[in-house]
Amino acid sequence: MQPLFAMAGLTWKAAFRFRLFLVLALLLLASVIGLPLLIQDDGTARGFTQILLTYTLSAITGLLGLSTLWLACGTLARDIEECQIQVLATKPVARWQIWLGKWLGIMSLNAVLLALAGLSVFALLQWRASHLPAGIQRELRSEVLVARGEAREPNHDAQIAEDTERTLQERLKTNPVDKADLAEVRKQIREQVRAAFQIVPPGYTRQWQIELGHPKSYFQNQPLQLRIKFNTADHSASGTFIGAWQVGDPNNTNFWRSEPMSLAPDTFHEFPIPANLCDPAGRLTVVFYNPNQTSLLFPMDDGMTVLFPEGGFALNFARGLGIILCWMALLAALGLTAASFLSFPVAAFFSLAMLLVGLSSGTLADAVDSGSVAAGNEETGAAGHSSVDIFLIPAFKATLAVISLAGNYSPIDSLSTGRSIPWSELGMAFVQIDLLLGGVIALGGIFFFSRRELATAQGTQ
Amino acid sequence: MNARTKKILLVLLAVLLLLGSGQMQKSMNVERAQLGLTHVAVLENAPPMLAFTTVALGGFRGLISNLLWMRANDLQQDDKFFEAVQLATWITELEPHFTQVWLFLGWNMAYNISVKFKDFSDRWRWVDRGIILLRDEGLHYNPDDVLIYRELSWFYQHKMGQNLDDANMYYKQQWAEAMKPYFGVNGTNFDDLIQPQGAAALKLQHDFTNEFKMNPVFIRQVDAKYGPLDWRLPEAHAIYWAALGLDAATRHPDKVKQDDLMTLRRSIYQSVFQAFHHGRLITNPFQQTYSLGPNLELIPQVDAAYVQMMDAEPSMRDHIGTAHRNFLRDAVYFLYENNRISDATKWFKELADRYPDKTIIENDTNSYPRNVSLDEFAIATAQIDVNETSQERVTSAIQGLLSRAYYELAIGQDDRYAGYKLLSGKVYQRYVSKTAGANGEKRIPLPPFDVLNKFVLGELLDTQRGVPYAMRAVLRTHLSLGPETNAPAAALIGPVRAPVTNTPAVKPIE
Repeated sequence: MQPLFAMAGLTWKAAFRFRLFLVLALLLLASVIGLPLLIQDDGTARGFTQILLTYTLSAITGLLGLSTLWLACGTLARDIEECQIQVLATKPVARWQIWLGKWLGIMSLNAVLLALAGLSVFALLQWRASHLPAGIQRELRSEVLVARGEAREPNHDAQIAEDTERTLQERLKTNPVDKADLAEVRKQIREQVRAAFQIVPPGYTRQWQIELGHPKSYFQNQPLQLRIKFNTADHSASGTFIGAWQVGDPNNTNFWRSEPMSLAPDTFHEFPIPANLCDPAGRLTVVFYNPNQTSLLFPMDDGMTVLFPEGGFALNFARGLGIILCWMALLAALGLTAASFLSFPVAAFFSLAMLLVGLSSGTLADAVDSGSVAAGNEETGAAGHSSVDIFLIPAFKATLAVISLAGNYSPIDSLSTGRSIPWSELGMAFVQIDLLLGGVIALGGIFFFSRRELATAQGTQ
Repeated sequence: MNARTKKILLVLLAVLLLLGSGQMQKSMNVERAQLGLTHVAVLENAPPMLAFTTVALGGFRGLISNLLWMRANDLQQDDKFFEAVQLATWITELEPHFTQVWLFLGWNMAYNISVKFKDFSDRWRWVDRGIILLRDEGLHYNPDDVLIYRELSWFYQHKMGQNLDDANMYYKQQWAEAMKPYFGVNGTNFDDLIQPQGAAALKLQHDFTNEFKMNPVFIRQVDAKYGPLDWRLPEAHAIYWAALGLDAATRHPDKVKQDDLMTLRRSIYQSVFQAFHHGRLITNPFQQTYSLGPNLELIPQVDAAYVQMMDAEPSMRDHIGTAHRNFLRDAVYFLYENNRISDATKWFKELADRYPDKTIIENDTNSYPRNVSLDEFAIATAQIDVNETSQERVTSAIQGLLSRAYYELAIGQDDRYAGYKLLSGKVYQRYVSKTAGANGEKRIPLPPFDVLNKFVLGELLDTQRGVPYAMRAVLRTHLSLGPETNAPAAALIGPVRAPVTNTPAVKPIE
């Protein structure tokens, strides 16, 4: 391990020699302190906290990400170009140790800078929150500065499948259909059965029973939140529909009834419910009454979610920073790998290009969804077509599959909405981003670096 | 030539070139304006950051603006609105002269985002944000842009003034609270804003003009032309901004489309009409709430506005005429309801003179003005939604009118009290005469009017379920009923209402 640490130490020395550490630390602190003075929020403490978290963490991620790429490319490529690597390579240190040592040095630098910036953001948030009135502070600490877990209704897939088959068999008895049409009929019946689970007709109620997975005592005196969303085929003049809620089982537990709420469709609504409405087994009963003249559809996946406090903000914030550090590790590996076989400018350009591709996943996904890289006709709805689709679309699909390994984690989004980032998510992020994706890139980088002839005349000489 | 001299010469050369390019820029700007290539107007009073971004970014502004639009759109799709204000600020700073950008972002906040919130206070914050964006920033950089005036006027008239949004009364209440310090408890005092006396009044004027960007002198002109308006209500402000837009249009008549001018005029007409319908704010001091009543002083102005509209838009004359006739019917009915019988008679005559060949009572093909008396018209209008053979609904209507009468009495609206009381009696009499059988017996009898009256009064004066104590005290004083006792209200001997049930007509999904 000593050679690794020695290489990491050299990277640190270089970072200090080029004043990179100082400049980065100042830039990060300036962004944390300066952003709150510049940004415009929506006028609420909650909104301000959310935008502050989003912008400061995004700025930190952006600054660290770019500097990581630059440093990773620079530290190896310039060592090679300036022949300093020859001094190292002639020592009894394996090439992979040089490569990994540099990666370790960059990562330890990132970890310190990220911790410094993260602590500043955390302190700033806590300081601002502590100056708010007690009521707003309480609201903030229960909705944003918290780690909230999610609970939903159990999956109904098995019951839907069973009901579908039963209904299908009953219909087949009275109205036999061709074998060719059977799949379509089954599909239609399945949609009908699914609709029964999702649709609340006018004047009807819908009940959800949600297992929170903890005994009642776990949530003692802790307010929960409901996060709901519904769709409707009809339009109302006001743009909203009325909804009334009852939470808790009147026969077994305390219960709470809402005033009629004016709710917009196709929108997530979050509202608090009083504490201590779960039954002793930790089950929460929620009933919705639809007094409108139209049916409302609550999607099975995100129509009804219960948000409950799962942990504190500090640890959640640390886990969020942990995922950001995983991203940095990937970028460091990417930069070092590029520098292992390219000169500094080309390696930097290559790494940035890769980063750009990663950030363009939305565009790639659009192309994959439409099945073509050519634009379709928006008026007629006709899809576009291009002769290169046959190559590009599979390539885009493969690229998206790779990007998704790193891109499926959004700690900034979770933190700004008060969602919990479980340890398992951090672990999965480490496995997918660093071990799987970063590991493959690192192996490639070490391979190229090990095979590279370091003593040849370099381009800059 | 030594290095120092060389540097000085180079700096001088740079300064000369800068001055030269500045001169060149002016002539280029003139040509760009003539050819209509781009917006070249210099930003006035722009903060340094805005001035910098608009100059330094050059053609990249559009690109960055596009990226910001995309982010704003993505976040809105995900119901995340906390960045909306910041993104709107950046986008408008990058495109400060692009009218449609201001219009869309203002509209988005006031209409699309606001309605996404269930709490009325949150909705109001976004409606207010939309107004502030257009008023404080859009008009600041585009002071002559007619479309921004029109949009601002529309927010006041439609979003706040009409009742399409469930939260419209909350908006009105918030706006009234905001305006009360400047326009007084009746919403009609703007003299203190024009000629403030004393330090406090001066501060008030300063705060008002700075926060709401309104000109008190122009307010007076608008009020003189279209008022008297209650400036605590959104309609007055809708008229103000539309009138200001018309005023701005006169400064650049060559750049204004006739259609846009027409829209501004319509905004004024419609707002005046709305102000007539509910342009009077009635404060309930007992419950600290507001309700709205018609502003009957506006009848001549609304009448004149319709006549002007018919002259200005000959192609729409028939449609506007129908609306005018409906307005006159409303005016007569409202005046009657408010016990202003002589005014009601005058406008009833006006209705008859203007539209002698049009019926004035719905579903009555013979109700030409010459065939109907004022009393008959008023009663028929009161019953227009009531099935006259429906005993339950007529009872309900009479009770409603009586409740309304006592409510008006409690808050000092004596004329309206008298009007509602009179109307309830007339509706009762009409029902009795309509349902009388051949021998004079009543087929579907109503309780005696006095019983109905006592019942309503008893409900209002009930110490448990009635109106607040102070309101009950005022009513008792006016009606000489003596102080409250613990004895049950005698009036409760009247008909008993059906019990309220909260059992929903529902079938739970199994």
